[in-house]
Amino acid sequence: MNWKNVLILVNAYVKSYRLVRSERFRRFRERRISFYMLYIGACVLGALLGWFVGSMFFGTSNPQMKELVLQGILNLLSSLPTVTLLYGLVFTQIGQVQRLGVKAYTQPLYWLPMSWAEHTLASIISNILGLPLAVTLFISSGVIVSSVIIGVLPDAILTVLSLFIAIFMAAVTTEMTRVLQVRISGAVARRAGRAAVWLRLITSILFFILFYAVYFSLYYREGLEAIFRMVSYGQRALWFVPYLWPGITISLFMEGYILEAAVPFFSSIFFSYFLFMLAAWLNARYGLYEPPSIRISKGIHLSETGLLNRLGFKPVEAALIRKDFKAFIRRQELTYIFILPIISAIMPILSALNSGSGPHTAYDMYMLRIFISSYITLIPGAVMAMALGNVIMGIEDGSVWILYSSPINAKGLIKAKYTFTVLFSASVTFICFIIGMILWKPQLTIAVLSISEAILIILPLSMISLSFGVKGADFRDFPRRMIRPKWAIISIITCIAAAIAVSSPIIPYTITILLGPHIPKFWSYLNLQSTYLYPASILSAAISFTISFLFYRRAVGYAESLLLRAEEIYESLMFI
Amino acid sequence: MSSVSIPVRLSGVTKRYGDIVAVDYLDLEVKCGEVLGLLGPNGSGKSTTIKMILGLVKPDSGFVDVFGMNVQEHPVEVKRLIGYVPESPRIYEFLTGLEFLDLIGDIYGLPLKEKRERILKYLRALGLEGREGDLISSYSRGMKQKIIIISALIHRPKLLLLDEPLTGLDPRSARIVKDLIRELASEGVTVILSTHVLEIAEAMCDRIAIMFEGRLLAIGTMEELRRTAEMPSSDLEDIFLKLTGEEDIKPIIEALLK
Repeated sequence: MNWKNVLILVNAYVKSYRLVRSERFRRFRERRISFYMLYIGACVLGALLGWFVGSMFFGTSNPQMKELVLQGILNLLSSLPTVTLLYGLVFTQIGQVQRLGVKAYTQPLYWLPMSWAEHTLASIISNILGLPLAVTLFISSGVIVSSVIIGVLPDAILTVLSLFIAIFMAAVTTEMTRVLQVRISGAVARRAGRAAVWLRLITSILFFILFYAVYFSLYYREGLEAIFRMVSYGQRALWFVPYLWPGITISLFMEGYILEAAVPFFSSIFFSYFLFMLAAWLNARYGLYEPPSIRISKGIHLSETGLLNRLGFKPVEAALIRKDFKAFIRRQELTYIFILPIISAIMPILSALNSGSGPHTAYDMYMLRIFISSYITLIPGAVMAMALGNVIMGIEDGSVWILYSSPINAKGLIKAKYTFTVLFSASVTFICFIIGMILWKPQLTIAVLSISEAILIILPLSMISLSFGVKGADFRDFPRRMIRPKWAIISIITCIAAAIAVSSPIIPYTITILLGPHIPKFWSYLNLQSTYLYPASILSAAISFTISFLFYRRAVGYAESLLLRAEEIYESLMFI
Repeated sequence: MSSVSIPVRLSGVTKRYGDIVAVDYLDLEVKCGEVLGLLGPNGSGKSTTIKMILGLVKPDSGFVDVFGMNVQEHPVEVKRLIGYVPESPRIYEFLTGLEFLDLIGDIYGLPLKEKRERILKYLRALGLEGREGDLISSYSRGMKQKIIIISALIHRPKLLLLDEPLTGLDPRSARIVKDLIRELASEGVTVILSTHVLEIAEAMCDRIAIMFEGRLLAIGTMEELRRTAEMPSSDLEDIFLKLTGEEDIKPIIEALLK
């Protein structure tokens, strides 16, 4: 192993993160100080926290309390390596996804005189650098400083060593999964053919749902302290899992089994080395593997006059809608658009399920059912409309020249993009509506009111976000934002205001329903019956259509400007 | 002359990017059925000129007429008549080659039967048959270039704007494209072609325009260029290097070999 080569490669790999960060690429200047400040800041903050904890312990005069705090600290120390491994896995995986998302992953320069072991080690080290290392330094400095004050320095030193072994294990595992993921997805693509596209999309969505379901379950059910306690006690029972050996080392050492602690400690070092050799072998075997192309169709099948054309869309508009639909199914980086609606749907469901376990009156449960079923019908679709409208123009990225060099007029472009945004968001709304109906069975009036308001909100929100998405479109690949932040913020604020305006006629009735028997006397004079909903819904629809029309004109104006000055806009973005 | 005989006319066109003058007071007329080669070193304003003809870049001064229409006033009508191959094209990699051509056919409003016939004909001619159902992301650079060229030709444009069209093509496909361009020109299609490959320009173009630092240094047939450069028996490379003031490359080579 040539360590100089490793350092050179680490330097190159770390620089690939420039494409992930939002940096100015022309007249580029590296600010080395910010790179080191992250680590220095982490050490200083960790030391301060350690000093605070140590002082607290030192200042406690009650011996029983002191013993309790010490036990807590020791529990914390023994669970830290496993916790480090977990966050190390999360952070390094996120880093990989970010780099893949902007195609910033550096292919090994395999033609240079360097070994695969050197490439692999450099990639692993670059995985650790950044947030994973900063967090580990933060914890390490805190542990060392507090242990000096408390008087458990040997335990702390061993903990810090174990932390670095754990973070190394996490980074090697990430490296291995990256190589294996490419190889396995390649094999799946070859076998599944056309279905691979759908398989990839559904897998991504299921992954997001599962990830956030687990995350929010822990968030709502368990505290951070409970997780630490669980890890501390649980890892001893799972002694046969090598990833837990660093944590078991600390646990045994603190219980006074010094010689016994040496076994898992050295075993974890050997296991790390084994993982590294395995990763280097996988890289040598599959590191240059090119996944096969997905064959979508055999033979010549061209689009014919379809439903969209029959609905009055011109061929060019229908073609653009079909193109955007394919983009969202096939472009992996666009699957992230599903995260916001998924989060906004999962959060209340889990919150409701959790709150349902406590003692509640029938009236509380009735109110909860109304609230959650309405929320889940209204919010995810609206969030999707906001997110999608914002990026639907920016997703054209470097291929935008096809639009502005083609005979497409601004109205046709907006019509196509708007239709797609509305259809997609409405689909999300309907799916969530059905889930809400099945799980919470709201009464018919509430269900009809929710779904009609959801659609009335989606219509202007799609147009508002689309108009700002066109105005602030960012076609750059690096950084890939699709909309400039300023316009995204303006869009969100305007959308929230519009959603409130559209639903404002319904709000008095909603208040009546939600307050029920607790309704103030002055409010009950309004005597809002369900017949109130007819004029309220008409007014709501009028507000919705007016806002949509106003922003349609604005969107067409922005699109005209974009199509005429697209090349200059595209060029000027490079100087931001 | 009428707009039919002079399909492209640039009058006193200037374009600046900050302090940089990309195109400096350019006057240019391209005749119907003519293949005009735009030559010039990197940054000489060739691509900007092509983009101004297409209406993608607005000139700071002067005007651009295409088939008698101002491109800024009638962008959609002008684009309908043009086929464009950009210098470094990015295309929708999530589509298959066939889906991309289908999209382009729909954008130009081709009827289904005509679209199918033309797509099949071009796929076969450029050797893409059998790969049309694969995602473009799996295509080589040359295959992507072929798709772009087909997309520029599929709607039978009256004006072709080709920015380095033969980049990445295999010799067979390059020959097909070259012959096709000549054939289209003989049928009345006007072609403006930007290239760095002087042999291609010499072989394909009726007239050659040499640009340097945004200015038009010379324009004419090979014979006219030789007269302008006062190099009666020289080839285009020598004329180009002389006109752009880059002919003295010997010291550079010597310095590199030291």
